Amino acid sequence: MKYTFKYLILVVFVITTYNNFAQETINAYDPNSFILGGDQKSVPATVNLLPVAIIDVEPDPFSANTGSGTVISAEAGLPVTSGAAADLDNIWLNFTQRSNNYQPSRIYVSTNQPVPAGMTIKVEIEIGNYGVEGDFPANPRYGQITLSQAEEIIVYDFASGYTGDGVNNGYHLIYTIENPGSVSLPDGFEVQYRIK
Amino acid sequence: MKKYTLITIFLINTYLSFGQILPGTLDVSGFPNISQTINDLVSEAGLDDTSVGFESNFDTNLITFTLDPTILMGITAASTEQNCDANVFRYSVYMYTSYVPDGFIIEAKTTFDSGFGLPAVSTYDTLPIQPLGPRGLTPENGGNYITIPRDGASAIKVFEFVGCREDIPIQFRIKPSVKVVGGNPVNFDVYYTVVGSLN
Repeated sequence: MKYTFKYLILVVFVITTYNNFAQETINAYDPNSFILGGDQKSVPATVNLLPVAIIDVEPDPFSANTGSGTVISAEAGLPVTSGAAADLDNIWLNFTQRSNNYQPSRIYVSTNQPVPAGMTIKVEIEIGNYGVEGDFPANPRYGQITLSQAEEIIVYDFASGYTGDGVNNGYHLIYTIENPGSVSLPDGFEVQYRIK
Repeated sequence: MKKYTLITIFLINTYLSFGQILPGTLDVSGFPNISQTINDLVSEAGLDDTSVGFESNFDTNLITFTLDPTILMGITAASTEQNCDANVFRYSVYMYTSYVPDGFIIEAKTTFDSGFGLPAVSTYDTLPIQPLGPRGLTPENGGNYITIPRDGASAIKVFEFVGCREDIPIQFRIKPSVKVVGGNPVNFDVYYTVVGSLN
């Protein structure tokens, strides 16, 4: 009985504390809440928003200290260490996009320099794996895209959304590099993604 | 016996007169027209724009609540200022919005003792014991921003004040999801509800 009373007091204390911290509200649709000694007014308001389109690859697959470590060197310009085809397996495409007047956007991929002869770099989006955060309409291109300086669509028309930041968010990119002749990438070689 | 009855009626009558809250009028001036700038935009790909937010001027709306003048047979028996001087009540201000799109977060705040008491100096101020505390303004949430609901059925208290008060500044912060389309103005209404009380 002694413990029951103790717990009852504790429960009352917790409920009281919760109620005290809760923000006070009223039903403002009910005129009785303000008709005596109060009043109600409204004002119109306008907010103007800018469109936004930003894109990022996480982690940067060609910077130091990133990549799977079991596939190829992570530094652009260094030779692939194996003559066999290689996959980069944990690269994610993040973006944030607010459309302007419902204009859909696309994401393009290309390279900033020609891919050296004898080497082929392909990228594809893993279908159905769109990360754990964010809120965006997925509309990826199916299948591998062979990269070149010519822009290719990798995500077709989509409306506003955001993917969440970092790995395991957005589109999972799978790179496949075929380099039987162990050709080196030129200095400053980049794979570029563009959202517009 | 008759004497005591009369005194009792007088006292009850006096109590009821003092216990009745007088009618007042809320006035809201200013038209919030807030524009997002490039510095207000999210800068990390993958994050929603609600992670940043942008503010209006501190006095985008000015709120005034005063007691109505007392008019008897077409003659002003007591002006607004006289009524405000002689009758001090507590007022709570609740806010909500309407016609706000999904993912569009609107927050509002004011600061401690913002605005101006009417009259500037009141008889009430000189009382040795002020039943409602000093005439002043107390914001909720410690003066930090409060998210304004989109449903009037749960209009939220943003601040309270004692006595008539003029030109209380209201500042807004907008946190728009990128899911809210750009290019067209987002138009909505802000509702202010003042609730008076005797204690």
